Amino acid sequence: MTSDQKTTVLILDDEPIVCKRLKPALEKSGYEVESFTRSREAMHRLTERQFDIAITDLKMDGMDGMAFLTEVKKRYPETEVIVITGFATMETAKESYQKGVFDFVAKPFKLGEILEVVKKAEAKRRSA
Amino acid sequence: MRILFAGDEHPYSAYALKKVIELAWHTWADVTLLSVCPTQPSSRDPLPEALHRYREEFMEALGGPDSPYAQERWEYEWMALRNGSWEEVQVRRGIKKELRVRLRVGNADTEILSEAVRDGSDLIILGCSGGGGSCMWDSAASTAPQKVVGNAACSVLLIKEDRPVKRILACMDQTTASQESLEMINQLLTIHGAQLELVGLTKDGGARPEAYTQLIRIGDYFGDKGIPVSTRLAEQSKFESVLSTHTGDDLLALWMGKKSLLTLLFPRDWVEKFVSACPSSVLVLR
Repeated sequence: MTSDQKTTVLILDDEPIVCKRLKPALEKSGYEVESFTRSREAMHRLTERQFDIAITDLKMDGMDGMAFLTEVKKRYPETEVIVITGFATMETAKESYQKGVFDFVAKPFKLGEILEVVKKAEAKRRSA
Repeated sequence: MRILFAGDEHPYSAYALKKVIELAWHTWADVTLLSVCPTQPSSRDPLPEALHRYREEFMEALGGPDSPYAQERWEYEWMALRNGSWEEVQVRRGIKKELRVRLRVGNADTEILSEAVRDGSDLIILGCSGGGGSCMWDSAASTAPQKVVGNAACSVLLIKEDRPVKRILACMDQTTASQESLEMINQLLTIHGAQLELVGLTKDGGARPEAYTQLIRIGDYFGDKGIPVSTRLAEQSKFESVLSTHTGDDLLALWMGKKSLLTLLFPRDWVEKFVSACPSSVLVLR
């Protein structure tokens, strides 16, 4: 990752409204963003390219966010994964961290909060 | 999620703090503990002391080595001093999540609302004296809790007693419920393992299509997420009798968005009076 390249972000959330909110906000902040509402499609995209940052919901039909996190970290250990969830529990938070998540953000959140987390993840990627 | 706890030194604030700790335990929210002094605090003022005690209690519950709040990150930060100058001081921050402790000076409800905006809070949690029309802060008979509920831009959880929540009784109308409010209900249902009952309020003759459609839409939202939900419609004129059916194990949730029928039908001071009269804790959703 070089400093003149745009940081790439993948968003996976089965609620279209979340992608609709996050994608333009991140693009406006200078990120290159792809969003998915189906985990299978997001997983397929990961076979084609790597992302610097992945933001994933936890509770979804098909492959859930925890399995997605595991797959991303297995395929690209350096990709920073941010978990967002509407059903937060201590267990899922701890499990996420054990699997190497960068941060765990419970819904609801303001765009500013997630942008701050993405910026921190980006800083970590760039300093690696 | 960002949670703002506003409290004074009385027992109901300690109950509310327990709720903050419970929510933070599951959501790993960024948390701010706030008190407001009417005048510049002295060393003997009970509020700074109470805040100190609240911080200790929070960290005792959530400050363990594998906690996101564990304070192991040292940083230098600039802090404003009273005389207008600044000092760079070394502070210790949480590894992943923040616990901030703040004291403001001024009018309680104004300062709480202002802090919520500054902090980008998603939820304000505060305690107050129990039902029976009081709902006050004992300090100077302050109506701050009612004013915060009536005027906050974000959701507010008003804790009246230290009881488990077994059911969330959520009253709604035909206007759109914000995504944030639905997510807030989700989190509280998950944390409490509570049941959800949706009450659709109608007016002037039963099931108006808009109210019915909205009730179905919101019911489906939760149903699609695997949350069992029961629904019913109720005439707005019988709203108060609907509320009388709830018990102390219920958390009463009211959608009070800008365009909410509840907001349009009832003046703001009605909301304040209602949350005062309500015997149980109340969640006002926005």
